[in-house]
Amino acid sequence: MEFSCKFLAIFLAITILTVTRTLGNSNVPQKFVDRIQKSNHTNNWAVLVDASRFWFNYRHVANVLSIYRSVKRLGIPDSQIILMLADDMACNPRNSRPAQVFNNANQHLNVYGDDVEVDYRGYDVTVENFVRLLTGRTVNGTARSKKLLTDAGSNVLIYLTGHGGDGFLKFQDSEEITSQELADAIEQMWEKKRYNELFFMVDTCQAASLYEKFTSPNILAVASSLVGEDSLSHHVDPSIGVYMIDRYTYYALEFLEKVQVNSQKTMGEFLKVCPKRVCISTVGVRKDLFNRDPDKVLITDFFGGVRPTKILSDPIDIEFTPEKTFEEVNINIPLEGAKPSYNFPSQFASELFD
Amino acid sequence: MFSRLKFCFLILVISVNLSEQSEQYHEELFIKPLPNGFVNTFFQFTTRWNMASREDLLHTKLTPRPIAEVLYNYDVKELNIALTQGLWRYELWGYPVVDSAPGAEAWAWFNGDNLTESHVSRQWKDLTSTFSGILCASLNNIDEANTVQPKYSFRPRFVAPKNTKSFIKYSTLPRENVCTENLTPWKKLLPCSSEQGFASLLNSGYVHNTNYHSVKVAIRTFQEAKTGELTMELVLSANLVFDPILISSSKDYSIRKIFGQGLNGVCPMSSSSKIYVDITEDKFELVPDSDDVKESTRGASTTKFAIYDMKVISPNDLFNIAFVKKDKQNLVPIIPPPILTAHRYILAKGQEEGKIMTEVTNNHWADLNVVLQENIPWFVPSYMHTLTVKNGNEVLKIKEFHYIPGNDRERPYHLEIAFTVPAKSTVKVYFDFDYIFLKWTEYPPDANHGHYIGSAVVTALLPVAKNYTTIPVEGYLFEHSFNASRPSYFIQIHTESLLLSLPTPDFSMPYNVICLTCTVIALAFGPIHSVTTKILTVDTDGDENKGFIKKVIGKIRDKIKGKKSAPKESVEEKPKSE
Repeated sequence: MEFSCKFLAIFLAITILTVTRTLGNSNVPQKFVDRIQKSNHTNNWAVLVDASRFWFNYRHVANVLSIYRSVKRLGIPDSQIILMLADDMACNPRNSRPAQVFNNANQHLNVYGDDVEVDYRGYDVTVENFVRLLTGRTVNGTARSKKLLTDAGSNVLIYLTGHGGDGFLKFQDSEEITSQELADAIEQMWEKKRYNELFFMVDTCQAASLYEKFTSPNILAVASSLVGEDSLSHHVDPSIGVYMIDRYTYYALEFLEKVQVNSQKTMGEFLKVCPKRVCISTVGVRKDLFNRDPDKVLITDFFGGVRPTKILSDPIDIEFTPEKTFEEVNINIPLEGAKPSYNFPSQFASELFD
Repeated sequence: MFSRLKFCFLILVISVNLSEQSEQYHEELFIKPLPNGFVNTFFQFTTRWNMASREDLLHTKLTPRPIAEVLYNYDVKELNIALTQGLWRYELWGYPVVDSAPGAEAWAWFNGDNLTESHVSRQWKDLTSTFSGILCASLNNIDEANTVQPKYSFRPRFVAPKNTKSFIKYSTLPRENVCTENLTPWKKLLPCSSEQGFASLLNSGYVHNTNYHSVKVAIRTFQEAKTGELTMELVLSANLVFDPILISSSKDYSIRKIFGQGLNGVCPMSSSSKIYVDITEDKFELVPDSDDVKESTRGASTTKFAIYDMKVISPNDLFNIAFVKKDKQNLVPIIPPPILTAHRYILAKGQEEGKIMTEVTNNHWADLNVVLQENIPWFVPSYMHTLTVKNGNEVLKIKEFHYIPGNDRERPYHLEIAFTVPAKSTVKVYFDFDYIFLKWTEYPPDANHGHYIGSAVVTALLPVAKNYTTIPVEGYLFEHSFNASRPSYFIQIHTESLLLSLPTPDFSMPYNVICLTCTVIALAFGPIHSVTTKILTVDTDGDENKGFIKKVIGKIRDKIKGKKSAPKESVEEKPKSE
């Protein structure tokens, strides 16, 4: 009996070896390749940061709101978008169009929208809060909407804009995050299983320097300019006297506006949205940490929201509550006077004047 | 999958059982043409919910879930949070239905068994953080360093079982911006959101194009001592002041013009849905006109309201009211000032010391008792020994003086004083303060913009109800203010918030110092290094000491070597030239 067991084990080992060898050959069936290329994320999150304060940085707010608009339109709910705006441009006294931020002097697209939810604003946009957010070390009692509650199945989009330099990004002109700090925070995210794949997008001067220090896996990064290059703004709106938007984000938004929820457009196409002749700066891309081929990754893997749905073919029996119950409730409630009147203390401290 | 479905069904069954509790939702809109041609629109959405016990809070219907959870988890019995942009002009506009300070203002009453000061502080911090998420505001910046505990200015508007101590926390964030991101989540707290009913009028583009806008969340609870029966009241209100000339370039206006669209039916969940238009002045012709006109007499002053019951008039269709001015002449109205007004400003010369001056004016023919609350941030060291309350040259007697001195980075300066403002006079209250330097990391990124000081709060009892539209404490609907005559009328007004430019250090100074020092060191280093490391020698290898033959040989050698020797000579020359 023992002998036959050993024989069986050896036979199995040989079979496995031959099978793996055939799989290792170049003629692997296409469907296996495709399966690896397919994303296995379960939810989508976005962290969108505008790190600049002051009215003349209007374009940075327009940048970040452009991406906010796109991810929201493509299905990431507000509860999974962390939006950080260092200054209030929409209701700024200098803005002659209150509660509106446009990406274009023609005012076709109000990127601020009518139902924006800003999670961190004003003085709350700090390097500390940003790193705390990424690493999940928020202060006790932080509101749920201000936390990045991602898990190992989350595809995270991080978008940063502001004024940068070689190896740093300025926050509100008073502090800066270095590329090393950023890489450490993201490494911590990976160690804590806080993301599945990460798309890092940055629109600042010398933007490529920000992703240089990354070592964590599954990161696809794109930057509006290489080290030593400036990122440039697109155009000025003379009616409010400031630059509207930066070039890279302007063309990114132009591309994203054409993407629909069920779109088959790929990240590969997205990485080419701003060729040098329109961007003036060179768009930097870092793919070495990313396992999949960007040309086969759907853009909605990062910009769209996953809605896990299961289609059932069997009929489901749901008993509806009769309408009558609700009507009765409404009739039963007396409008006023039924409750005993309460005694309230005097609202004014009259006793002080006696 | 099927177990999940069953679970959903279970929830459905529970909600049916719970629907036997009474919960009501009312929407109201009060429109008042202001004397100076502006128009005040006040929205009030009230939810009242009678519960058998506190546990019912976990099964919500019309009340938003986060609000119910807050009441369930914390010992908060009354909570008021207002976000305001602009300043209410009492002299021109009279008194608002609900008054609030510029920026963010929040106060809460806590009451519960075995509640201690430290519990309350912890809960207050958590509560404001929670609401910073709910309303997308920076309320999480409220902490012990900007919270006071008013003794006289704020009184409970809730009812709790007797014999338990109540705690109050009050704070303002005068710097807070108010924009669409606050209005959106605020609207989502309503049962119909902004889809239907009065809230559909609140489009951010129009709301933020006003002279004054304020949104408020007010929660209070009433608990019966005997039965434990609990009533919760949630009032969401929005107060807006429009300038019709700015919007429609005429003195006529309509709902559609000021809000960008007509009224989109009523919220089907609402028990009542009414519009009240103040037609006391009778300057406008209303189209369509309302048959339902009510007169409200309150303390000798009569106000006329045209009432539109939207449940009857137009529950589903778009509805509009146009205000057409009857008298086309451009008369400048004489506006009688309200009885009590207050202003505040800074008196200072230089950036060393200053005075905070608060003026409280009584326009009535009789004396008026007032309580003034000052809430001064810790970075404005104030000297209360200099506190002066003067009417002209006469120093007034302070009836009550409650003062908690501030402490750097821990506690603000909190002052409450009670005094009587004589008839037809202005009382000046002032005290000195110092301008101080902060630690350089404590300055905000825009330090040169200045620092804000929250507004002072003046409370009083008015003898007459002229210009007064506040809902009495026991009421909750706007119509409860009709014919609500009382011996006196409680009023609470806010002054301007102050902008104080503290002296700011030269933030680029360390950078400049580093640059300058490095330049000086670099310039000094070169010569000092060469002087200290190289030996100055006289070149004795010159031609003058050689004999004739050697000279000739040397010249020949030089010619053969050619260029090679040339640089060598120049190196040797260099120290000489120095």
